[in-house]
Amino acid sequence: MTELQEILASSKNILPEWLLIIGILLLVVIVSFQKDGSNWPYRFTFLLVLGYTFSATYFYENLPNDGIKLFGDLLILDKTSLFFKQLVALSTVVFLIHSRLFNYKFDGEIYFLVLCILLGLSFLAMTTHFLVMYVAIELVSISSYVLVATKNDKKNFEAAIKYLIFGAASSAIMLYGISLFYGIGHTLNFTDSVFLKSIAINSPLIIQIISFLFLAGLFFKIAAAPFHSWVPDVYEVTSTPIISFLSFAPKAVGILVVARVVNANFADLNMVLILIIFISLIIGNLAALWQTNLKRMLGYSGIAQAGFILIGVLKGPQTDFYGAFFYILTYLPITMGAFFLADILKKQAGSDEMEDFKGIGQKNIFLGLNAVIIMMALVGLPPTIGFMAKLMVFSSIINLGEAMHSSVYYGLLIFGLLNAAISIYYYLKVPYFMLITKSYNQARYNPDFFLTVVLTYFSITLVVFFLYPDFGTEWVRKVLF
Amino acid sequence: MQSGLLSSLIILPLIASIVILLLPESYKGSYRWIALIVQILLLINTGTLIGGFEANHTGYQFLEHFEWIRLTLGKTSILSIDYIVGIDGLSLSMVALSVVVFFVANISSFSINKKEKAYYSLFLLLTASVIGCFIAVDFFLFFIFFEFMLLPMYFLIGIWGGPNKAYASLKFIIYTLVGSVMILVVMIALAMSNVDEFFTSEYKRTVFSFDFRILSDQANLLKGSLLNIENPIKIFGVHARDFMFILLFIGFGIKLPMVPFHTWLPDAHVEAPTPISVVLAGILLKIGGYGLIRIAYGFFPDIAINYGLLISIMGLISILYGGFNALAQKDLKKLIAYSSVSHMGFVLLGIGAFNVEGFNGAIFQMFSHGLLSSMLFLIAGVLYERTKNREIENFKGLAKIMPIFTLMVAIAFFGSLGLPSLSGFIGEFFTLFGSFQATTVPKVIPILGVLGIVLSAIYLLWTFQKMFFGEFWTKEDFKNNLDDLNQKEIIMLGILSALTMLFGIFPNILFDLLNPTVIQFF
Repeated sequence: MTELQEILASSKNILPEWLLIIGILLLVVIVSFQKDGSNWPYRFTFLLVLGYTFSATYFYENLPNDGIKLFGDLLILDKTSLFFKQLVALSTVVFLIHSRLFNYKFDGEIYFLVLCILLGLSFLAMTTHFLVMYVAIELVSISSYVLVATKNDKKNFEAAIKYLIFGAASSAIMLYGISLFYGIGHTLNFTDSVFLKSIAINSPLIIQIISFLFLAGLFFKIAAAPFHSWVPDVYEVTSTPIISFLSFAPKAVGILVVARVVNANFADLNMVLILIIFISLIIGNLAALWQTNLKRMLGYSGIAQAGFILIGVLKGPQTDFYGAFFYILTYLPITMGAFFLADILKKQAGSDEMEDFKGIGQKNIFLGLNAVIIMMALVGLPPTIGFMAKLMVFSSIINLGEAMHSSVYYGLLIFGLLNAAISIYYYLKVPYFMLITKSYNQARYNPDFFLTVVLTYFSITLVVFFLYPDFGTEWVRKVLF
Repeated sequence: MQSGLLSSLIILPLIASIVILLLPESYKGSYRWIALIVQILLLINTGTLIGGFEANHTGYQFLEHFEWIRLTLGKTSILSIDYIVGIDGLSLSMVALSVVVFFVANISSFSINKKEKAYYSLFLLLTASVIGCFIAVDFFLFFIFFEFMLLPMYFLIGIWGGPNKAYASLKFIIYTLVGSVMILVVMIALAMSNVDEFFTSEYKRTVFSFDFRILSDQANLLKGSLLNIENPIKIFGVHARDFMFILLFIGFGIKLPMVPFHTWLPDAHVEAPTPISVVLAGILLKIGGYGLIRIAYGFFPDIAINYGLLISIMGLISILYGGFNALAQKDLKKLIAYSSVSHMGFVLLGIGAFNVEGFNGAIFQMFSHGLLSSMLFLIAGVLYERTKNREIENFKGLAKIMPIFTLMVAIAFFGSLGLPSLSGFIGEFFTLFGSFQATTVPKVIPILGVLGIVLSAIYLLWTFQKMFFGEFWTKEDFKNNLDDLNQKEIIMLGILSALTMLFGIFPNILFDLLNPTVIQFF
C-alpha cells in the first residue's frame, strides 16, 4: 500500500473529526453572516455535536480489540479512545443545555472555541505519538485561554494571563521532555518497539526525570498540583457552563493520556505519580477548607479529585485502569451537576459566596435535597455513585499493595481516605448554609421550579447509578486497554 | 423463607419519610402521627419477630436474600454485593432496643414545633438506617446504612440543636466519618480476600463477596490474598490482619465512644434536642459495640484473642475517665453524657474478656444502657423544657413539688449506678465477672473497674441529693413552670422504667436469646 492509499484509507476512519473540522469552518461563516444575539450558532453547534457523537458511537461498533492504527502510527483508534470521545461529547452536550437553560447569550466565538477544544481532545484521546499529542494539547490550551478571557472584565484578564503563563510554562517543560525522549528513543511514538528498546538501555532514573518533565503538560491539563495555581482564579471568574465543561473534558482525556503513558511501561512512574497524588490531595483539600466562594471551592476540590483519579492510574502487575476510568465516568454527572447547582444558587442568591446561600434550601426544600445529594457524591458517601467510584479506586490500590508488597500503597490508601473524610467539611458548607442557617432576607428568593427539576435529573442519575451500576461497569470493562 | 418481615423494618420508615416529605404543609398536624403509627408498626413487627424467633437455632434467621450488584472489577473478577438481611440473637436484641427507643423518642419529639416536615422525615430516615445497620448480613449493606446514618443525624443536630449546634454537628460528622473510612479500608480488604466458591464456579470469574456468612468463615480466604492467615505481608511493620483489626477497633471505638476518641459525644449531646439525645445515647452508640462484636471479633477471632488486654485497658480508661469527668460537670446533660462514656467502657471491658460471660455481659450492658440513658436524657429534657436551664446547682428540693418525676429519676439513677434488681446491675456484674474469668486480663483491671461503679454512685447520688432533697429552691423563679410530669412524659418514662425492672429481675429473657449466638464466637 502506498502512503497515499494509506492516508486515504485512514481518513475514512476519522469521519467524526472531519465532521467537526468542516463544521467549525462553517460555523465561522455562520457567525460572520448573522447578527449578534442570533440563535443560529447555538443551534448549529448543537446539531454538530450530536452528529459527532452519533458518528463516533455508531460507526465503530466492531473495532478489533487492539484498535487500528491510522496514518502510520500517528493515531490509534481503539475502544478506549472512543469511550473518552463519547464522554467528552456528552459533556459538551451538557454544556450546551446548561448555557441555554440559564439564558447565557454567548457569542458565536464561544461555540467556535468549545468546538476547537472538542476537536483537540478528540485527537488527544487517539494518540500515542508525542507530536500529535503536543499539537492537540496546544489546540485545547490556546482555545481555553481565549475562552477564559472572552468576558470583558479585569478579573477575567488576570485569570487568563495566569492561565496562559502557567500553561505556556508547562507546555515548554513538556516540549523539553519530548525532545529528550526523541533524542534517546529515536522515534516519537512511545508504544513503538524501537522506542522501548532504546529507552531500556538508559538508567531508569533519567527516564523517570524525563517522564516527569513530559507529564508536566498533562498534569497542568488535569489540574493536578503542583501545576494547579491557575485553577482557583480561572474557576472563579469564568462563566459557569464553560468552567463546568473545562472542569471535566480536559481532565478526562488528560487522565487517559497519563494512563497510556503508564501502560506503555517504559519507566516506573509510580513514585512520580504517588508524589503528585499526595501533593494534589493535600493542597486541594486544605485550600478548599478556607474557601468562601463556591466556584473557587469547586476548583480546589477538582485538584483533590484529580489526585483521587490518579490513584487509579498507578501501575501494578495486573493494572487495567479500571478504577480511574470508572471514576471519570461518574465524575461527569457529579462535577457538572455541582456546577449546575452553583449556577442555580447564583441566580437566587446573586453571588457565588456561600454565605449568601443562607436559607435558600429552607424556602425550596427540593433544591436543598439536591444540594445534599450532589455534595454527598463529591465526598463519596453512599447512596451516590461517588461512593462506588471511590470504592473502585481504593480497591485497586489494595490490590496493588498486595501485589507490590509495599507499605507505601497502604499509606496512600489511608491518607486518601482521611482526605475524603476531611473533605466533608467544605462540601457540607453548601447544604449547611442552605438548610441550617437562617436567611436574613426572605423576600429575595423565588425558587425556580424548572431549573430545580433539571437539577433533579443529575441527582437521580447519581443515586440510580449507585443502585444499578452494572450498566456503567460493563461499559468501562469493555473499553479497557 | 422470605417473609419480608425484616425488610419491612427498613422499608416502612423509608416510605413514611418520603410520604411526609411529599405531603403539603396543610397536613402539618399529621406528620407526628404518621411517624408514631410507623413506630408502632415497627414495634408490632418486632414483636412478631421475637415470637417467631427460634432461640436454640444458631445462625441467622428470617433471612431475605436478593442479588443486588455484580460489580465488574477489572477483567477477571466480580464484586458481589447482595441485599441480605437476617437476625440472630445479637441483632434481635439490638433491633428490639432500637424500636423501643425510637418509639419513645418519637413521643418525645412531639414537643418539637419548628419545621416539622423536615424533622419527621429525617427522623424516620434515621430509624430506617439504624435498624438497617443491625439487620444487614452483608458488609456493604451494613456500611451503607452506617454511613447514611450520619447525614440525618447531622441535620437533626444542626437544625434543631442548641446555640452551638454548628460546631457540635460538624464535629460529630467528621469524627464519625474518620471512623467509618477506617472501617471502609477493612471492608474492601476483607472483600478482596474472601471468595464465594459457589458463584466463582458459576461465573468462571473470581467472585469476591461481602456476605457476613462468607467473611466469618476463614476457609473462604483466598490463598495468597492480603488477609490470608498464612500471609506474611506486613503493613507498617504490623501483620495485615492485625493492622485491619486495629483499624476496626479505632473505627468502632470512635462510635462507641472510647476515650480518647470520645470528645464529640458531650458536645453533640449538649447541643442536640432531647429526642435526638435519646436516640444518640440509646442506639447510635450501640452500633459501635455491635460492630466490634459482629465484625472485629466475628471476622478476626484469631487476632482478637491477642488484643484482649489492650481492649480491656481502653475500657478501664473509659470507665474511670468518664466517671471522673462526670463528677466535675455542672450541666446535667453533660454529666449524663460522660456517664455514658463511663458505662460504655463496661461494654469494652466485657468484650475484652473474650469469654461467654463477658460477651453476654457486654451485650446486656448495651441493652440496659440503651434503656437507662434514654431515661436519663428524657429526664434532662423534662427539666430543660420547663425552665430552659440544666445547671445542677440551680435546683434544690424538687421532690417536694414533682413527686412522680422524682420517682422516675430515682429509678433511672439507681438503675445506672447498678442497684440489684434493675438492669444496670446485671450488665455491669457480668462484664466484671467475665473480666475476672479471662485468662488474658490481669485481675487488677476488673478490680479497678469496680471503682467505676463507685464513681457513678458518687456522681449520681450527689446530683440526686443536690437537686431533689432539702427545701425547695430554684435560682430564678421557675416555680410556676415546674409542674409534675404530664401524661406523655409518664408514658415514656414509665415504659422505660418498667423494662428496666423487667430485665433487672428476669435477665434470662435476654440471655436465652443471646446465648446460642454468643457461644458461636468461642
